[in-house]
Amino acid sequence: MIKISKVEPSVSDRIKGHLNAITTAFVQALKPDRITVEYPRERRRYPDNFRGILIFDKDRCVSCFRCAQICPANAIKMEFYDNYYPSVDYAKCIFCHFCVESCPTGALRSSKVHDVAFKSLDDMYIHTNSMMSIPEIVREEEIEVEYEIEDGKLKLRREVVEKLEVDYERRRLILKKELSSLEVPPPIPVRKRAYCKDPESCLGCRICASVCPRNAIKYDRKKRIMSIDIEKCVGCGFCVRHCPMEILDLKVM
Amino acid sequence: MSLFEIFVSNMMNIPIIKPLIDYLMGVPVIRFIVALILWRPFFAIAIAPGLGALGLYLLWIVYFERKLTARVQWRVGPLEVCRPIRGLIQALADGIRFFFQEVIVHREAHRPYYVQLPILAFIPVLIPIMFIPAGNVVGIKSDYAIQLIVAFLALISITIVVIGWASNSRFAFVGSVREAFMYFAYEVPFVIAVISMIFLYGSGNPYVAVEKQTIPGVFLNPIAFIVYLIAMLMATSRLPFEIPEADQEIAFGPFVEYSGILFGLVMTLAYEKLYIMALLFTILFLGGWSGPYIWIIGDLSHVLWLLLKTVVTISIIVIVRSIYARYRLDQALKLGWSSMLGLSLVGLVLGVGVGWFV
Repeated sequence: MIKISKVEPSVSDRIKGHLNAITTAFVQALKPDRITVEYPRERRRYPDNFRGILIFDKDRCVSCFRCAQICPANAIKMEFYDNYYPSVDYAKCIFCHFCVESCPTGALRSSKVHDVAFKSLDDMYIHTNSMMSIPEIVREEEIEVEYEIEDGKLKLRREVVEKLEVDYERRRLILKKELSSLEVPPPIPVRKRAYCKDPESCLGCRICASVCPRNAIKYDRKKRIMSIDIEKCVGCGFCVRHCPMEILDLKVM
Repeated sequence: MSLFEIFVSNMMNIPIIKPLIDYLMGVPVIRFIVALILWRPFFAIAIAPGLGALGLYLLWIVYFERKLTARVQWRVGPLEVCRPIRGLIQALADGIRFFFQEVIVHREAHRPYYVQLPILAFIPVLIPIMFIPAGNVVGIKSDYAIQLIVAFLALISITIVVIGWASNSRFAFVGSVREAFMYFAYEVPFVIAVISMIFLYGSGNPYVAVEKQTIPGVFLNPIAFIVYLIAMLMATSRLPFEIPEADQEIAFGPFVEYSGILFGLVMTLAYEKLYIMALLFTILFLGGWSGPYIWIIGDLSHVLWLLLKTVVTISIIVIVRSIYARYRLDQALKLGWSSMLGLSLVGLVLGVGVGWFV
């Protein structure tokens, strides 16, 4: 049995503790280890996997509804134009970016923009056509800050934007305010393609061809075989889900 | 003897501005004003170490405390008011805002007391200043100055208790009861610590006390020094004993209902009390106004040393805010009536013993 009793530190321990606290306070008062960034005059350089405002690419979307289904906050609704495309309600969005992870074609992407103000609750509902580019933002930073870990301690490295010497491209983008290329990380390449595991078992039902949003699966009437056009396939996995013989799968090409 | 002659007979001696004063004394009306300002008792009360120095000190300490606490806690602190000097005039800006803000007197308040008391509370702050000398610059010379300062300091707590009663609100009541308890906790050890120093110097006269400090009082009686230091923290609601005001629990305690300029007055009460206690602390333990005499500023030299020592003392004391957490009321009372009372009695014996030899 474990018995818990009150800790009674010895007098020397108490004095040591007091001295420790006082020296820490004085050291911090003279030279603080603070990591505060004086936003908006300074801005932290965010990593590429930062979860900010969503960017939508209409051409890549295959209307698979996965983003709307996976959203835990029910923030994504599908809107109909020529096809169904997602729209986001930022009053509900919790920036978990499950939608970005679940998107099979990389049509939804994350940007580094996080400081957006809305005038009303209705404005927070972003329709599909406004999701295509990053919202209008004003950048007034003079100093860029990068967080670095040095000997197990978090430290700040400050660089004046106009004197960014290493990164000419970045400096040009900030000064000319071409933010869409600065704040949106490059699109993730489509990694997976559909393929047939076992062509012998194919029934020839042609369900895969009819569900394919990009018409990548073709049926050749003369040769009586199915073929997958790798160039057209976006790896959405519709055919994999619908195949009655379960012989289709996605693989990394 | 006319009033003007009385002023001129006891004027400040400041060599550096002597030509300017000589010129101004020739101008008909202005010479009365100049003579009044440079009349030593008036100068002591109205300018330094009195009201003027008190105002400057308030502007400094409010900013400094916020900035220091912020640094220790890895924040930035006040910054946006006048950015080039890193928000140095934040306290001034707050004061101006308080001045133009509406004073709301709520329905349940005891109206006359509620409005009067913040202004009346200023009196026990100003009276001790009359007895605090800085070299020749002194309001009233008295053989019992130290005892009088301690006596008038006690009045501040009473005004705070009455302010809490006049506010007639739950939090204010809790705050004033706590203030009364804290008053019981610190007053007895504080008075005994001061009495031990009076025994040590053999007089309640600040001049005698400063003269006898060839070795500073800290080393003559370190126990009374510690007791006085802790009592000072308790008396002025500094953080380890910030029990009556306790922002997180009772939202500034007795002062919860105040707004506008009245809040500005009551909020600075604790700082003013700290100023007076630190002045007394400097006189009793740090050698008062003794220091190298700077010829060029004459009488101001004493004032300068006294204020410098006081402000440095306070600036070191405010860091305690960011080191320790708040005590509970019962813990503070226990501390006051056990260890502090015991220590102060030991200090009294030590003071009498050392006083025998000094």
